Amino acid sequence: MTTKNKEQLPMGVGRVTTGWLVFVGLALVGVIIGVIGFIVEHSQGMVATGMRDLGVGQGATWGTYISVVVYFVGVSFAGITVAALIRLFNIEKLRGVARMAELLSVVALILGALAIIVDLGQPLRGLTNLFRYARPQSPFFGTFTLVISGYLFASATYLYLTARRDAATLAERDSGLRGFFRFWAAGYEDTPDQRDRDRNTSFWLALAILPLLVVAHSSLGFVFGLQVGRPGWFGTLQAPAFVVLAAVSGVGNLIILAAIIRKAVKAQDRIRIAAFSWLGRFLMLALFAYLYFVVVEILTLLYQPSVAEQALSEALLTGEYAWIFWGSIAAFVVPLAMLTWMAITRSWNVSWLVTAGVLVNLGAIGKRYLIVVPSQTHGQLLPYGIGSYNPTWVEYAVILGLFSLGALMIALFMKVFPIIELEEKQPAEHEEVTV
Amino acid sequence: MTRYAMAIDLNRCQGCRACVEACKIENNTPSSVFWMYVFRLENGVYPNTDISFLPRPCQHCADAPCVKVCPVGARYKREDGLVLTDFERCIGCRYCEVACPYGVNFFNWRPPEDAFADYQIPYDDPDLQAVTGGLIPPYQNPDHQKMHGEEQRLTSGSAHSAGVMEKCTFCVHRVEQGMQPACVDVCPVGALQFGDIENEKDPINDFIQNRTRFKLLEELGTDPSVIYLGGAPPDHEAREIERPMTGVSA
Repeated sequence: MTTKNKEQLPMGVGRVTTGWLVFVGLALVGVIIGVIGFIVEHSQGMVATGMRDLGVGQGATWGTYISVVVYFVGVSFAGITVAALIRLFNIEKLRGVARMAELLSVVALILGALAIIVDLGQPLRGLTNLFRYARPQSPFFGTFTLVISGYLFASATYLYLTARRDAATLAERDSGLRGFFRFWAAGYEDTPDQRDRDRNTSFWLALAILPLLVVAHSSLGFVFGLQVGRPGWFGTLQAPAFVVLAAVSGVGNLIILAAIIRKAVKAQDRIRIAAFSWLGRFLMLALFAYLYFVVVEILTLLYQPSVAEQALSEALLTGEYAWIFWGSIAAFVVPLAMLTWMAITRSWNVSWLVTAGVLVNLGAIGKRYLIVVPSQTHGQLLPYGIGSYNPTWVEYAVILGLFSLGALMIALFMKVFPIIELEEKQPAEHEEVTV
Repeated sequence: MTRYAMAIDLNRCQGCRACVEACKIENNTPSSVFWMYVFRLENGVYPNTDISFLPRPCQHCADAPCVKVCPVGARYKREDGLVLTDFERCIGCRYCEVACPYGVNFFNWRPPEDAFADYQIPYDDPDLQAVTGGLIPPYQNPDHQKMHGEEQRLTSGSAHSAGVMEKCTFCVHRVEQGMQPACVDVCPVGALQFGDIENEKDPINDFIQNRTRFKLLEELGTDPSVIYLGGAPPDHEAREIERPMTGVSA
């Protein structure tokens, strides 16, 4: 499908369509709204957000921003895991989603980093001081170094390395992007020698990324799990639960992205239903594991709670956060039922999978919010009384801007580089298409 | 070794909140910010109620959760036991605030020129301007501009720059000149005592001698430097009454 025309690059690279323009336009509007929100926030001070001091101020000092930081970093899980698994276990059928998965990781991590910056009272100081005065004792150190720096660097390197072959192939063609592809290929000419070396490098990088992934997502769990001062935070389960929920939201996102791109570049033959069924099964297992964590957590919280934990669990299960809590649980249970049904009947349906992907992501955002906020407003250890937190339009605008920026980055990438790996030249590796 | 500590005699405290007021004036804190705070608590059911008071400065913990979590070392503990914030280094991530079980941290949600608006002082009034020279707040102890301690960092009083965390400093600028913190100095019934608990000759050791005592949330392992004498820690049925104005308006 890719070599009909010498001038045309595959996957719609270099060609601008009306649909794409509309999409990019909308995303740009979203980004502009976000930038306006950010400007308002930092000209008025963070009083423009709904966050307030906890304790005497009866508010929550961490709100939606920190929730989406955790969410975005969670989403980055999918990409690099899937990419690493493909390399390590040679899962051919997932090759079609490998590059978009890697891209999703990089984009999600950039958004996570931006969300942290947005949350800081002194963003510019953050950019310098976080490096200049970094303290490994702070759980945030893991977030900034391991997650944002190490993990982002590893993902970007991985994306770069695994795409060099395609860049070399495309650099042979006459197109406006030729210089860019040459630059990306950086001397790579797809000789057997180079191919071996590249394969070796990405294999070892994949092997290194898997433990880094567990450490990085755990370190985010430690931001909460090491704190005794807030009810519901301290616990050994936080770190593993963060890793598993990261898998849920990340794979869910990847399913959505794969379905959209499959339609957009008409790549039904490259991303086959087998890839979706693999992702669906992975998501199902991750959901089972996560719900297990939820049950264990709730049971522990209910059996013999301290006074503070009881106040928290009441707010969560029957009080003002109950709709988010039970909504999130429903957003995990319903997709789990759908996925299990599809796994049992072995009939995988892409639109059902996308529905499941959307639901688990809503659930993941809900759960992230519930980890961050209620422990600040309820169950104070001193008699401060119950607090409340209501996000303002500024926060919604900035978060909309972040999501739009993510969509924009992916859309732009699709126009300068094939979002799906080009098929290898040897005809022997080409399989027949069955959808 | 010096370890500064504060002893608070709950049998003497009458809940007048003079210490709260003294702290606000000495450190020029904006409205809704209470580095020193006094809980007025009520227990029981009317007519059988008990009233109790619990002053709550920063506990200046020996093993402070806020110091541990600060990603840039802006919140730090000094050799003499004071837990301070470097206003020039803080990036405003507010991790210290969620880590602290005592709720003593206050974030500068607004720039200083807005933060004092709730006091409803007509700062624009020409007559007032003639006195204050347009300063907001009108008067600041010049010691606040100085760097403090061996480490020479900006840690005292009223920086109040937007997007930075702040809390009780045990009045580091006064302590370094051999004075007592403002709240201690002003207490009309001598309920507060401040001094070096490691120095046997310091009056604080006489003050706490042979008294029943507790520390707030000691079970969390924070090892606070604030010692409460007499009375009892607030139980979970204690209700707060007569709260001061704490809302931060946009």
